[in-house]
Amino acid sequence: MLAVQLLINGLVTGAALGLVAISFSLIYATTKLFHVAHAGVYTLAGYVAWSLSTRGLPDIVALLGAVAAAVVVGALIQGVLYAELGRRRATHLVVLIASLGMLAVMQNTISAVYSPNILQFPVPWRSNLVSVAGVPVTVTHLLTVAVSLSAYAGTMWFFHRTILGKQIRAVASNPFLAEITRLRPQRVYVIVVAIGSAIVALPGVLVPLDLGLQPFSGINPLLTATIAMIAGGIGSITGSFVLAVGIAVLQNLSLLFIPGEWSIGITFGIFVVFMLFRPTGLFPAGR
Amino acid sequence: MDFLLSYLALAEIYVLLGLSTNLLVGIAGIFSVSQAAVFGVGAYIVAQSLMHGVMGFVPAVLVAAVACIVLNILVTLPSLRVSGDYFVVTSFGIQLLATAVFINWTEGTGGANGLPGIPPPDIFGYALETNEQLLMLTTAAVVLGCLVFWLTMHAPFGRLLRAIREDELAVAAAGKGVLRAKVSAAALAGAFAGSAGGLYATFLSFIDPVSFDLDASILLLTMVVVGGARTLPGSILGPFLLLALPQLLTFIDIPTTIAASARQFIYGVLLIAFMLFRPQGIVGEKL
Repeated sequence: MLAVQLLINGLVTGAALGLVAISFSLIYATTKLFHVAHAGVYTLAGYVAWSLSTRGLPDIVALLGAVAAAVVVGALIQGVLYAELGRRRATHLVVLIASLGMLAVMQNTISAVYSPNILQFPVPWRSNLVSVAGVPVTVTHLLTVAVSLSAYAGTMWFFHRTILGKQIRAVASNPFLAEITRLRPQRVYVIVVAIGSAIVALPGVLVPLDLGLQPFSGINPLLTATIAMIAGGIGSITGSFVLAVGIAVLQNLSLLFIPGEWSIGITFGIFVVFMLFRPTGLFPAGR
Repeated sequence: MDFLLSYLALAEIYVLLGLSTNLLVGIAGIFSVSQAAVFGVGAYIVAQSLMHGVMGFVPAVLVAAVACIVLNILVTLPSLRVSGDYFVVTSFGIQLLATAVFINWTEGTGGANGLPGIPPPDIFGYALETNEQLLMLTTAAVVLGCLVFWLTMHAPFGRLLRAIREDELAVAAAGKGVLRAKVSAAALAGAFAGSAGGLYATFLSFIDPVSFDLDASILLLTMVVVGGARTLPGSILGPFLLLALPQLLTFIDIPTTIAASARQFIYGVLLIAFMLFRPQGIVGEKL
């Protein structure tokens, strides 16, 4: 029974993590920048939703407000900071350090404003139980899985069926050629980071709804999601989503044998195995 | 007066760490947010050796340095073999894993409570107990460290490292081992960080995981970025400036609850500002 419960927890955590992985993968595959500050956007979304929710606004407004805030902040980071660094011909390393600085600024602003302690959402229904095939599951868990699967399907549809999605994939595969055909890569980068930020806002709200908010909790999911992205094959949306679920399930099942504080070791172990034996990931070139 | 002495000694220990981070980030061009973890490994090894009377201070520091060299080689070798960006994941992973070990491996590290009562350093049996003597020890260590750094940078190996930063492809085409040079630089960085850890543990006589967490790594990166990448003066200036910052902050009236956040916030702002307007730092070379 414990194993079943852990499996369910793994699937739920994995669904949320899958969205982080998709969003990071989109940004990384297109802009080629290691957007560490993405962890800050993830954290910020949760706090915005909490603020709106504690002011008595409807839950759906809180969620949409969080998505909107994430989009604005993400677009500003790309459109102002990264674009300016690009104009100054900054090296990859310089952009990475600036992104890390941005993460420190965001996390510590949140910590100073909201205190570093855990905050819980004032939402009474979040731990209500419903029965799915005889197994009790909380409403939050069910909502997380439903939202994640719809967002995954939506992302797949957007990138393969719409003109804008195809343009983004064109820029991702060859920015130089895209520039020639007047696709304006810089504009596309802002759009991609905005979309990625909107996607990451969903787990950014849903995970804290279950576990509570903490200002410095963004790095761990981002790191796990990055590992899922690498293991799934960079640029493959399905690959990163599936691997994120797989890693989360493994992490949760490992709790049967290993205490929870070492779970980062499990995640990292998976990364090392992939790095040594299959560095291109399970689904390479699946653009 | 005691206050000034301990500031100088601590700044000198951080100069060793600045040299270490500069070798890795500035010279080898490897992004790193895990130097504090390596620093911590050195500190815990020396602390445990002295507390259990296994060996004297000098051999303990040597053991710590060797251990950190091995650690840095193990960390850099597989990820650099694959892709530069994978090192970002490795670096965050090592840092989070190390923090988990420092906090949870209670027998070895004293857990979150840390290790109190570390004996003072001794030079082959002669214990150094006053602040003046400790300052002399750290000064000697820093002079030695700077000498090693200067000699390395002016040796053929140093020229090879510079050449790699200018044009990695050209160096590889000239038949030089790029990977080997980068890993050697990382190994030297490990030796610096390990010895700095030994000095830090014996100087403060108390260590806990907070000194070696992600924030500490970001501080080290900020020191190098502000002082200046790739130069000796830069590695010396950065630590002295940034360790004075918390003292300056005490003059401004901010609540103690947000003091730590305010400090990290300033480091973040410095990282962004320097990357945008002066990526070479105050007295550094192009990053």
